Amino acid sequence: MSELEVGIIGQVVNQEYKYGFSTNIEMEMAPKGLSEDIVRFISAKKNEPKWMLEWRLKAYRYWLTLKEPTWQNFTYPKINYQDIYFYAAPKEKIKLDNLDQVDPELLKTFEKLGISLLEQKRLTGVAVDAVFDSVSIATTFKDQLKEKGVIFCSISEALQEYPELVKKYIGSVVPQTDNYFAALNSAVFSDGSFVYIPKGVRCPMELSTYFRINAENTGQFERTLIIADEGSYVSYLEGCTAPMRDENQLHAAVVELVAMEKAEIKYSTVQNWYPGDKEGKGGIYNFVTKRGSCEGAYSKISWTQVETGSAITWKYPSCILKGDHSIGEFFSVAVTNNHQVADTGTKMIHIGKNTKSRIVSKGISAGKSHNTYRGLVKINKKASGARNHTQCDSMLLGDRSGAHTFPYIEIGNKTAQVEHEASTSKIGEDQIFYCNQRGIGTEEAIGLIVNGFCREVLNQLPMEFAVEAQKLLAVSLEGSVG
Amino acid sequence: MTLTERIQTDFKLYATQAEKDSFFEQRQQAFETFEKLGFPTTHNEEWKYTNMKAITAGAFENTCIPSTKNNNYQASVFSGIKANHLVFVNGSFNKDLSVFIEPDSAIIITNIAAARKQHADLFNKHFGKYAHTETVALNALNLALLSDGAFVYIPAGKKLQDPLVILNFIDSGDLNVWVQPRNLIIVDKGADITLVESYESRGEHPSYINVVSEIFVDENAHVEHYKVQQQTNESYHTNYTQFFQQSNTSINQVTLTLDGKMVRNNLHFYMNGTNCNDLLYGLHISEKQNLVDNHTRVDHAQPNCFSDEKYKGILKDQSVAVFNGKIMVHQDAQKTNAYQRNQNILLSDEASVYTKPQLEIFADDVKCTHGATIGQLDEEPMFYLRSRGIPENEARKMLLNAFADEISERIKIPELVTLLENEIEKKL
Repeated sequence: MSELEVGIIGQVVNQEYKYGFSTNIEMEMAPKGLSEDIVRFISAKKNEPKWMLEWRLKAYRYWLTLKEPTWQNFTYPKINYQDIYFYAAPKEKIKLDNLDQVDPELLKTFEKLGISLLEQKRLTGVAVDAVFDSVSIATTFKDQLKEKGVIFCSISEALQEYPELVKKYIGSVVPQTDNYFAALNSAVFSDGSFVYIPKGVRCPMELSTYFRINAENTGQFERTLIIADEGSYVSYLEGCTAPMRDENQLHAAVVELVAMEKAEIKYSTVQNWYPGDKEGKGGIYNFVTKRGSCEGAYSKISWTQVETGSAITWKYPSCILKGDHSIGEFFSVAVTNNHQVADTGTKMIHIGKNTKSRIVSKGISAGKSHNTYRGLVKINKKASGARNHTQCDSMLLGDRSGAHTFPYIEIGNKTAQVEHEASTSKIGEDQIFYCNQRGIGTEEAIGLIVNGFCREVLNQLPMEFAVEAQKLLAVSLEGSVG
Repeated sequence: MTLTERIQTDFKLYATQAEKDSFFEQRQQAFETFEKLGFPTTHNEEWKYTNMKAITAGAFENTCIPSTKNNNYQASVFSGIKANHLVFVNGSFNKDLSVFIEPDSAIIITNIAAARKQHADLFNKHFGKYAHTETVALNALNLALLSDGAFVYIPAGKKLQDPLVILNFIDSGDLNVWVQPRNLIIVDKGADITLVESYESRGEHPSYINVVSEIFVDENAHVEHYKVQQQTNESYHTNYTQFFQQSNTSINQVTLTLDGKMVRNNLHFYMNGTNCNDLLYGLHISEKQNLVDNHTRVDHAQPNCFSDEKYKGILKDQSVAVFNGKIMVHQDAQKTNAYQRNQNILLSDEASVYTKPQLEIFADDVKCTHGATIGQLDEEPMFYLRSRGIPENEARKMLLNAFADEISERIKIPELVTLLENEIEKKL
């Protein structure tokens, strides 16, 4: 390795996390630890209907019977679930009608994060739901959306105002009994977003949620439920940050998407939780269950993710292609640095006839980090005419990093056409030389190459996020990738 | 008595009769390891799609006696080849059927039981050193209760003139048979060997064969290795082959799985030196409710090595194919080039394929790719042939032959190519 490269990687390693501040705000917390009483407490706090409490308790009791999974390609210290606050909320008594009533401290926090709610409201035309620790604090553009019949609110609010919709769909894609972390989330989830797009409506604006963990020793367990009724369309974005803390914090969210006939959901994530310091101390454990179900014919679900943060990212946004002719897509860029770990990928379950799926995954590992792609493509016996194309490319920066690929391909129908290709490489010296020769500095050249490497995925992001994602990539790998 | 119970009694019997030397201790330890690990189940990630229940619950006899029925061992396709033959019937060495034509007396071709006594130094230096027993239950089982097998030593700079064929007959004409062969091949510096391992079944009763082969390849040596599995619809086969290579070695390995109720191949390469060059190819044609499971692992532990892997499968009826290929590039293995491909053609609606091409890379200056495809025969070439007056059946055969060609052209023994061609002709 040349000296220049050592310098560059040194700079990458030294890059600081810029969202690492915490906000001093009065918090209301449930006692530490997890028990049936805590589940009851959370449910009571949110004034939930009785069936919801029962639903949570069922999940909690099931969770007690489970063991933490061990098949993943990394290890993490055992989480002490009795040492976590499962409920933390800014002290807020009155229900908010508009942003003026929001605690100015909170608004300042969001401004620092670059998502000034007021500004967003005026300028960009993106409806934002902001979740601070466990509670949704503000949702913009509610009225305009209401005119179209679109419901966009926090899930606690939805439980009060549209309980029958929530009851019908919650747990329909990710049941309480799905896995260890989904069961935990089902028992203690505090808030999250709820979206319902009525028949034939094309949602007039991008919907967006911003998640922020603030309080110490808390876990964030939000639950997002998006339902796109027949022929509707919605594009949904989420972003996340957290302050710098020495302990690891757990984030175990569940996202469920339901697409009816001819509906389309586009779900984009820019994940930038605190990744820990350069010795690998602290950081968020991002253990998330995300799944979408293409219920109707000709429906489509598209996942796009840019993963740059978290000490450990462990998630597989998946599509269940039930409807005939339905389409599932997964586009991912995962960047890991220092001691970060990413074990991510997708599952495409083909059940309906003539279903299609496409997977594009780009992994970049620098420092001592490890990046794993793990994906499943399953074609059921009856899913004739199914088609899948998977491409996963890894790029290695630094000789102590690792890139791994574990694709599972299970085919039960002869008419299936499935292709998988993967490659691993470092940036070619000839490519850098080519750029140098034309007067482009090495740093800039690496920037160009990495951007080109990820472009296929970044192009999928909505405008507002594409810019942010590009900036994030630049920040995460500054020095080495411009 | 199930196999699990049979193993217990067999080992007890062996323990009372055996000489209590270091070899016994080694086997005793292996038996304890096996007891601890047990047969792999589908909860084990490596055995997710391959269920051993039919074997473990089945009743098998550990016998070396061939059946009373007339089983023509000479009918093997390999009998006619000009080669050295080492013949084992139900795991025991058959001197009468074996043929040695190698003129160089420095080359040792014998069986394990004899080698342990006559070539103790060589044997002790290499035996059991490469195929892991601590974590692999079936290897431990093989070590504990091995029957016999081939022992080959090619001294430095020597070349085996004609191929060596290790013929394993599993004869279950009278009763259910359980056999555990074990091979040790030592190829010294600059030596050269062409080796065929053949597994053939005779008889209608179920049989289970659990093979472990260790092949040590010293600097500058070259190995051609073919594995041919022609068993019956009642035979189960698990196989673990470990190559351990030093610098500047090259290996050409081809695995042909033509028949068998359940075949599980574990093929491992460990490149312990620089500039190694490995080619590994495989082809299987499976039918009925048979299962073929190929697990391969290539460990690039040192820089500047190359590996190319291609596994192909043609599936008929309700057959199942599993492929799990792992390329492991260790931290020091810079400048590694590794390629891996798995292609499958499904001819039936009820056949299934589970494939998992894996890369694990810990070095940054590498070029690694892998790919997998699964589908039917292409419609376009089919149409091309049909429109030129070739009947559908013929056209299909031509296309499948072309598909298999990529593997068969790697085979340097003409008789083996003919065998493969006949097999394709017969099955399709």
